[in-house]
Amino acid sequence: MTGSPLHGGPDPMARAAVVSVPAVSAARRRRLSHNGQRLMFGYTLLAPAALYVLLLVGAPFLFSLYLAVSDANVGDPVARFIGLENFRSALEMDVFWISLRNSVTFLVVAAILKSALGTSLAFLLLQNFKGKKLIRGLVVIPFTLPIAISVLSWKWMYDSQFSVINWVLSRMGLIGQFGTEGWPVWLGDPKLALLACIMVNVWRTFPFSAIVLLAGFTSVPNEILDAAKVDGCNFFQRFRNVVVPMIFPILMIGFLFDTVFTLSDLSVVYLLTQGGPANATKILPVLAYQVGIQAGNLGRGAAIALFLVPLLFPALILVLRNLKRREY
Amino acid sequence: MSDRQPIETHLTGVSRRGFLRTTGAGVAGGALATMLAARQAPAQIKGTTLRILQWSHFIPAYDTWFDNVFVKEWGDKNGVKVRVDHIPHLELPARMAAEFAAAAGHDIIMNGSSILTRLYYKSLADISDIYDGAGKKHGGWIPTAGPLVQVEGRTYGMPMFYILLPMLWRKDLFEANNLKAPDTWELARVAARTLKPKGHPTGIQFSQCADANLNWRSLLFSFGGAESDVSGENILIDSKETREALKFAKALYDEGMTPEVFSWDDASDNRYLASGVACWIHDAISAYRTTEDTNPDVFKNTHIAIEPAGPGGKRVSTSAANVYMIWKFSKNQQAAKEFLTYFVDSGPEGMVQSRGYNMPYLLGQAKKPMPIIGADPKMQILQDFPKIVAFYGYPGPFTTPIQEVVNLFVLPDMFTRVARGQAIEDVMKWGIGEYRRIFAKHKRA
Repeated sequence: MTGSPLHGGPDPMARAAVVSVPAVSAARRRRLSHNGQRLMFGYTLLAPAALYVLLLVGAPFLFSLYLAVSDANVGDPVARFIGLENFRSALEMDVFWISLRNSVTFLVVAAILKSALGTSLAFLLLQNFKGKKLIRGLVVIPFTLPIAISVLSWKWMYDSQFSVINWVLSRMGLIGQFGTEGWPVWLGDPKLALLACIMVNVWRTFPFSAIVLLAGFTSVPNEILDAAKVDGCNFFQRFRNVVVPMIFPILMIGFLFDTVFTLSDLSVVYLLTQGGPANATKILPVLAYQVGIQAGNLGRGAAIALFLVPLLFPALILVLRNLKRREY
Repeated sequence: MSDRQPIETHLTGVSRRGFLRTTGAGVAGGALATMLAARQAPAQIKGTTLRILQWSHFIPAYDTWFDNVFVKEWGDKNGVKVRVDHIPHLELPARMAAEFAAAAGHDIIMNGSSILTRLYYKSLADISDIYDGAGKKHGGWIPTAGPLVQVEGRTYGMPMFYILLPMLWRKDLFEANNLKAPDTWELARVAARTLKPKGHPTGIQFSQCADANLNWRSLLFSFGGAESDVSGENILIDSKETREALKFAKALYDEGMTPEVFSWDDASDNRYLASGVACWIHDAISAYRTTEDTNPDVFKNTHIAIEPAGPGGKRVSTSAANVYMIWKFSKNQQAAKEFLTYFVDSGPEGMVQSRGYNMPYLLGQAKKPMPIIGADPKMQILQDFPKIVAFYGYPGPFTTPIQEVVNLFVLPDMFTRVARGQAIEDVMKWGIGEYRRIFAKHKRA
């Protein structure tokens, strides 16, 4: 007998080889099928959000790109492709450059003020005091109020004749009487008008910054803060070296949201000044609305609005890069 | 087998089909004319629904009457369910754009101040028949009405009423200081110069709002200035008269106003008058009515003057136009036309309900004595305005480039820049540049 196995019967390796092929394949199939199911489940969960973004953000964005390279106007359903003509026209507008400058000023000043006020408020709300829950509810009121109502209230407070702010300041002797040079005209002086608009934007949205920060602060374990205290860190050192690094992703997301909200804030300026006096408060969204909707040039309005994208893009890159770096 | 040919009569050369078409049209036209004369709508509109979108009127009682009495009565009489929606006038252009894009919404849409006929005419129903009918019935339209609603010989809107911005002045203050009534812009300036040091300055909006667009145009046109020629194609802003108007506005600001005018909106001058501070304002009579309701003492001494004359004696009053249009996508165009016919016929009633605010475009309705304003000695002067009324673009029509000029507040900005101290020639260069750029863009498009 040649080649017979030591223990008799067929070669076990050969048998294993014979049976293992279908066995491994079935197991892999099962595993793949399990992975497939997991993937399917994951995509199903993602689908509503992805669809939402595609339909409500992606589609309008693509549509605005299409409008920006066409001669579309509000009353004509047929639009011709005109290349970059709308962008060229926008760049030729004196008021476009004023609006761009105002938009950047608005964004930077508002961001600084909101950071300072939002952080302070978040720290205050972290403290234990009576009525804390009520106060937490009240501080978000500016953010939740319908914008038209709150801005109209501010319009009255800034009124050139009946401004409650001026009356209080005047009574305190800080400014002059009505009708004198020392009586500030909030919405009439170009510099004050932009500042007045920024203040309303800050008043409306800094509670949002505070809530975002508050969520971050409460996620920092007390043990770590206590350990830092034991190590001799003072308040600012704990904030800078412990809290900020730990809540950095939340800060970045908050920063991104805030940038978007501020840059695209049409209502405050439109309701307070419509961009006046003499374009001193005109920002890109207001100009885009006036050109695109009120004057009917959808194409040029879309082109002006798209100039917001390069402004937003650096903020987006900065945030995403920082977040990605911190994932590993 | 050949097609049957129409049988022609040798005597007239009219085919049977042609005869039926002609007589049918004649009968239908006759029936429509009879129905319109009897104010009775055809049976086809019974059971339908009509949706109207319009502004919230500056006289709130007018809206109450319009929604609950006027519209209801017409609806009940004709078996049509009418729904009226109101939005602020500044939101009308955006809403119109949205309805156009969706090809759905209201049957009738109002345009206030910004008359968008030339932008949307391809999507609006041609209502030349009822426009012409109303003109014939009421003695014709004021000359500036047609260009608001007509494009390429067809009519796409019904001019319903316009809003005047006359001079509202304090007779007591003028008389106490031996000042003449503000019959000319120069007299108005002298009054402001005299009364400002006494705590009664004047004010016109040097800001970006509708009144600024209207008021400064009234001054410019009264000074002999013009915006575009009658074709609407050529800009006429580069003129000696524009420079004179700017120079005058600078002097008027320096001598008779305070810096708060740079922050004013459309209602600020109403408050200025009602508070008793202003010596005069140039505004719609809503300011007069507000003062009547809130400060009777000031109201007693507030008088209305005709548009002040410019240096050459010319008077042009730039008014806020209001027009109603029917969407082409409307499935109830017949009811919409019936309603607009009834509405324009009821102009005098609208004047009563708006307390003299709604001025008619129809000459027959503008005959003296007009309702409300004809009976009030202080308001009677308003009856002389139809002769001098103009709209944006004067003497040209309200074209799409002019619409962009208006919406970007180019002209008020020119006046604002001068008032803030920029040299007139620099401002002219800027303003003319803006006009040319906007007109050129529209020509390129």
